[in-house]
Amino acid sequence: MTLDILCKVVDNYGDAGVVLRLARALSELSEPPRLRVVTDGPEAFRALGLPVDPALDAQPFGAFPEARLYAWRGAAPESAAPHADFVRERPRVVVECFACGRPPWLDALLFDTADPERRLVVNLEHLSAEPWAVELHRMQSATRSGLVKKRIFMPGFADGTGGLVIDRSFRAALEKWRALRDAAARGAPGACAALSAARADLARRAGIELPPGAEAGFWVPIFSYEHEYRDMAADLSAFARESGRAVCVLAAPGRSGDSARRAFGLGPEGVNLVPLPFLPQEIWDEFLLAADFPIVRGEDSWARAALGGEPFLWHAYLQEGAHQQVKVRAFLDALRPFVAGSGPRAPGGGGAMRGAAAFAALEKLYLAFNERFADSPEAGGAEGLIPVLRSLDALRPGFAAFADSLASRGDLAAHLMTFLREIV
Amino acid sequence: MLMTSDIRVGTVFKAGSDVVVVQRLLGIKGGRNGQVKKMRVQNILTKSTSELGLDMGEKFEDVQLDYKKMKLSYIDGDNYVFMDMETYDQVEFSKEVLGDNAGYVHPDDDFEVEVAYYEEQPVSITCPTNVVRTITYCEPGIKGDTSGKTYKPATLDTGLEVSVPLFCDIGTKIVIDTRDGSFLERAK
Repeated sequence: MTLDILCKVVDNYGDAGVVLRLARALSELSEPPRLRVVTDGPEAFRALGLPVDPALDAQPFGAFPEARLYAWRGAAPESAAPHADFVRERPRVVVECFACGRPPWLDALLFDTADPERRLVVNLEHLSAEPWAVELHRMQSATRSGLVKKRIFMPGFADGTGGLVIDRSFRAALEKWRALRDAAARGAPGACAALSAARADLARRAGIELPPGAEAGFWVPIFSYEHEYRDMAADLSAFARESGRAVCVLAAPGRSGDSARRAFGLGPEGVNLVPLPFLPQEIWDEFLLAADFPIVRGEDSWARAALGGEPFLWHAYLQEGAHQQVKVRAFLDALRPFVAGSGPRAPGGGGAMRGAAAFAALEKLYLAFNERFADSPEAGGAEGLIPVLRSLDALRPGFAAFADSLASRGDLAAHLMTFLREIV
Repeated sequence: MLMTSDIRVGTVFKAGSDVVVVQRLLGIKGGRNGQVKKMRVQNILTKSTSELGLDMGEKFEDVQLDYKKMKLSYIDGDNYVFMDMETYDQVEFSKEVLGDNAGYVHPDDDFEVEVAYYEEQPVSITCPTNVVRTITYCEPGIKGDTSGKTYKPATLDTGLEVSVPLFCDIGTKIVIDTRDGSFLERAK
């Protein structure tokens, strides 16, 4: 099967990041589809580490077998001509990522009334924990042609959705870091040293220099939207004093880079700031998995952190009327049964009581962190991070159980292909 | 061509090879790049109903329709009878066929609706975008809460249930957007 994946880069690297991960996971399947990725943002793929030349109209797509990357081409008449490859092999199965629409030339090919073959378009939607993800998953969507069927495919955290993309390299990294962390948590002989050594090795591979002893510290990667981190810096400093562990803030470049520099750059006591360069996806994944408390944004890092099994904080994409809070509440609702003590694998008895109190602190933090009507470096403050940091021991089993439940649902790429084969 | 954003309850359009009319808006699910509307539609020819998603960005062929302005004359059980005020012609729709639109009209209304005809058969109505309705039941209003950010359920004089801000009370006249059933403002 040939799969035409459409990707419009709206802002930053999230859209390209999800598509890259999906392409990787699809190419790892036992019967991988042939991929043709059409994008208006080849620069984003290059930034993510693919050898892409943004000036080229068509080129190989990474090292994925037979996969090619094509320019979206605009609506102007001179750019409206279809790529010859698509004329030679007409689009039959098209995946629109995040309701990105279609370039006019591809739309014309899809809805060519002279083409008697059936075509299928799948809208791969944004990740959401809202209950409607289950409602919409696999649902039929209308088109203007009886020969062009359209379906909605929802990623999600719940049964009845398409799940999350779990590519092989991420799964391997997940197993490695969870084994290291679990052994360290159990106090296995030499486990803490092994975890520190693995972190030092990761820093070397990322090309960053850690302050002395930072590999044994409390790691907090920050990849968020603009935010006022001053109060969180004070809380992390207090936590460093209480726990006796130095805090290492690993600041991703981009929108939260300046915010982190402003809050942590002057070095609150016990807190070190380590600016990260732009990293390939696989290395960034490992920083999330190696961390004690990641702060993530958007979709892909959110999904990675959720699969990672350690407590984390999510900065949701700003939406009109602060609608992101609805999405945050929905995610908390998904997490609650595991963390607050009523979930199938959550600790019982006193553990459940502690879990409920810890979850209440976490919920307060999530809602305060996402309370904003605009992204701004001044947004936020007074979120109450310290109660959550003090409750990490109570939160960890629930987050781990949540991650296990997500992993047990399997890989979105495999589910997508099964779904497509059922319909085509 | 009709865009997804043009499609509302009462719209007749061609979905694939079927001519359908939208009876109910079951939800609008918001994402970063747009929305998916979930609707109950009826196939005009077979009369079968189904649930359908509509992605933003899709476009659809217009269907050739004729329109007549009419006013709701009376309701007989589950049947709504509309009258052309010039010719006194009447057409009848069941409550099920009207779908959400049944909740926006009342025989006491002054406004007219557009009745759409497909191949000379009346198939749907389109209400004015904004209509004024009266709340007949809701939990007591909270004075001073004029933020309009927190909502409660309310029943209107047509039996329709909508979400209204906390400051609304029984007897409050409100303006409803008939495209999605949302509260717009307190009627002046």
